[in-house]
Amino acid sequence: MRRGEPLRFWLVLALLVALQFSIRSRLGNDRVAPDFLLLALLIYTIRERPGASAAAGFVVGLLRDALTPASFGAGALAHTLVGYLSAWSKAVFFAENLLVNGGLFFAGTWLRNMVVAFASGKLAGPQMMWELLVWSPLQGLTTAITGVLVLVLFRHWLAIRLGES
Amino acid sequence: MALGADRYATRGDTLVFLGCVALSLVAMSLPAGTRDPLASGLRRTVLLPFLQLQNQSELLRTSRTRFAQVVAERDSAVLATAFQGELRAENVRLRALLGLGTRLGSGFVPAEVLHQAIPTEALTVVISAGTRQGVRQLAPVVSPEGLLGIVKATEGGTSVVATWAHPDFRASGMAADGSIFGILAPHGASERGVWLLELRGVPYRQVVPPGTVILTSGFGGVLPRGLPVGTVVGIASESEWERTYLVRPAVPPGAVSHVMVLGMQLGADLGGAFAPDSQKATP
Repeated sequence: MRRGEPLRFWLVLALLVALQFSIRSRLGNDRVAPDFLLLALLIYTIRERPGASAAAGFVVGLLRDALTPASFGAGALAHTLVGYLSAWSKAVFFAENLLVNGGLFFAGTWLRNMVVAFASGKLAGPQMMWELLVWSPLQGLTTAITGVLVLVLFRHWLAIRLGES
Repeated sequence: MALGADRYATRGDTLVFLGCVALSLVAMSLPAGTRDPLASGLRRTVLLPFLQLQNQSELLRTSRTRFAQVVAERDSAVLATAFQGELRAENVRLRALLGLGTRLGSGFVPAEVLHQAIPTEALTVVISAGTRQGVRQLAPVVSPEGLLGIVKATEGGTSVVATWAHPDFRASGMAADGSIFGILAPHGASERGVWLLELRGVPYRQVVPPGTVILTSGFGGVLPRGLPVGTVVGIASESEWERTYLVRPAVPPGAVSHVMVLGMQLGADLGGAFAPDSQKATP
């Protein structure tokens, strides 16, 4: 690892967290706008082991649960699963490809929303269908596009090799 | 360092993962008495700078619009001052004649809605006003269109609002003319994914036509009378002696950005406080 890389890596993650709480509300429909916080978690899992990723997911999820108490615990479970599976799948699929990473961001967002929707037990019927088939895929898409842009713009800061699969 | 593609989950990773899953399940099963203080503690400590950042961002976002509004209001105020004395006297006379109350005369606290990116966000929202601003638990939260929900928990600078979409939400509702009463509860989503309310327990012989505006009745000891809740759009179900009507809410939780937390007495009637636009039929 080159000198200064860890600092720059954390700077990118901090930037994403700041974006979540600053400009996200200006990016249109709340259910469609990219989830920068989840994106930061997924980028973190690219470089970390599954255990550390699961723990990071749990912490992120628990903090989010504090902001949406209607589904307390569901966010922690969802982010733990997404963090662990993301880190694990990166190891298994040997993914250092931009499209694969975009797919990972999309699937991670969709899976997170699906687990929250089911685990909270608060959505049912048409609500659940609309959440899983319309809003979550749209949010996954915007998050994936944002994630790909972040990877392209900050690939050296994140020390990620792309297009070598 | 590049990607570590040569690693799979070790036993340690699996143990950490299972531990986190177990803790998540414990969090989900916590009783409200334990869960709410824990969530409140996180909002007051770790999340506080992030919520302040979000609040500042919301204020910044609206500052330009507000500036234009302030300029327009100032111009209007300058114009109005020429007739102020006469208007005030006329207003007093008319109020005395018609018996109207002042609009939201007993006070309110303005707040920004701090939206989150979670599917269940429509059920509870965080707002940027808390005990420091005088917000109390169970206070009604409204937007210019009508009722959003009630305050569920308060902290120093933020509060959690349980919206009308929350499964635990119940309110006593009535038609705008006071002819029909029922219990308002969340219905879930329509086929087109629009979240709706139900007006339950309406006697079978009392027909509520689509377009009827539903207000809070003031019964129940939490919400004052006269807050617009929504508009009847159809029948959800009917039994031998009662009907349940579908109500399109006046305030969609995902779209509202600014709210007011009311602080008036429970006996207040707010029927005249809301603009007539919010009580028009929107089938």
